Amino acid sequence: MASTSKWTKPLIGDVLVILFSLVFVGYLFTILWHSEQATKLQIRLGDKIYATYSLAQNRSIDIQGPIGITRIVIANGKARFAHSPCPNKYCVHQGWLSHQGQAAICLPNQVSLELLGGEKPFDSLNY
Amino acid sequence: MRFLVLIIALMLSSCGKEPLVQTKSYVFGTLVDISIYGEAEDKAHEVTSHLLQDFQRLHHQYHAWQSDSELSKLNQTFAAGKTPVDVSPELLQMLKQAQTLSTQSQGLFNPAIGGLIGTWGFQRDEFTPVAINDAVIQKLVQANPKMSDIVIKNDKVYSTNKAVKLDLGGYAKGYALDMALAELQKQGVKNALVNIGGNIIALGQHGEKPWRVGIQHPRQPKPMATLDLLSGWAIGTSGDYQRYFERDGKRYCHIIDPRDGYPAQGKQAVTVLLPPSLHAGVLSDVASKPIFLTTPDQQANAARAMGVAQFLVVDAEGSVTISKALNAQIHWLAKPAKITVQ
Repeated sequence: MASTSKWTKPLIGDVLVILFSLVFVGYLFTILWHSEQATKLQIRLGDKIYATYSLAQNRSIDIQGPIGITRIVIANGKARFAHSPCPNKYCVHQGWLSHQGQAAICLPNQVSLELLGGEKPFDSLNY
Repeated sequence: MRFLVLIIALMLSSCGKEPLVQTKSYVFGTLVDISIYGEAEDKAHEVTSHLLQDFQRLHHQYHAWQSDSELSKLNQTFAAGKTPVDVSPELLQMLKQAQTLSTQSQGLFNPAIGGLIGTWGFQRDEFTPVAINDAVIQKLVQANPKMSDIVIKNDKVYSTNKAVKLDLGGYAKGYALDMALAELQKQGVKNALVNIGGNIIALGQHGEKPWRVGIQHPRQPKPMATLDLLSGWAIGTSGDYQRYFERDGKRYCHIIDPRDGYPAQGKQAVTVLLPPSLHAGVLSDVASKPIFLTTPDQQANAARAMGVAQFLVVDAEGSVTISKALNAQIHWLAKPAKITVQ
């Protein structure tokens, strides 16, 4: 076949398709890349964010609260209260938190944990 | 080409940061979580701090066991005799409303039993096990303090019963929610979600979607369900899992039955959902108590008496009874093994 292929000027439709594809890929990238981020642990002390840690590590964190030192442990993608100076230790009894949106609170020492990452299934918690 | 610009603009806007300002603090001895959507960040922070100051004021003015609060001073005059005293116009309104609600609940919502609540150790910041003194409890029950003992005459207040000791712990957070909603509207805020110790009221919505709230699982560190909280609606839960102590393997929660003076048994949680009204917040706080204190066969009647159509009860075994109206709105995340729709 005697091709008479010849470089022709791209039509407006071609430009649109190419640009649209680029934007679409960029859009997917921001969405998918975001949810692939390691899940995080946000620690609050009083009304302030104390720190946010990646769950993709094993470590323990000691936090000085109003009544003493609370120890938080991160291990194998999960987090928990390990030690607390509060009398009832409800926070420690909550055990490991592993899923996005889970939270544990120690009211006496004003330390709270919340797991972040991906889409939050709700805006606030009724308890 | 204009079409292309439009697409890119849409894409970019969807990547932009949501105009949501969320603040968490500690007031009323619990977590306060305020979300404001769609306002300038400065304004959102200003309104939030205004609300928190209001809450702090309520907390101090109506504190049940700090002796210098307005409420404690009123309790002291009640204990001293029948001398009518002046109270703030706000407290006067609160007392009237609490009296009405107490009557409506046939006395099961009874904020006059501060004496019993104190005996059980729930008038402290910490709930350590207390020694259970049956003689003291019996005496307090026999003294029969109730809201109808309080007489309001010419805007002055006295009690015909010295045993009346007000504790607004099951009312004030709801009152604060109603106040917050009015204040948000006054400030021109269109969308907000206010959570005081688990009691939540909604205004507007979260962007394109309604505000969504999670309902805590009473025995696991995760929500058991979610539901959409539409504008003006309020939700509240009474549970045995936040404020309680354990003694000899038995759980004693903060919900005291005024009839026998003992903490309620037989339920893990009662959740109520209230439609918009001037008192949706107060009802979300108050209305769960009478249901919590009622036997399973009377639950629906207790709810009806409080004007509650949407409720959910988790019994001691973890089985759920849910009203038809609420069942239509709830999304289970951890579906209980047994659900009865009533």
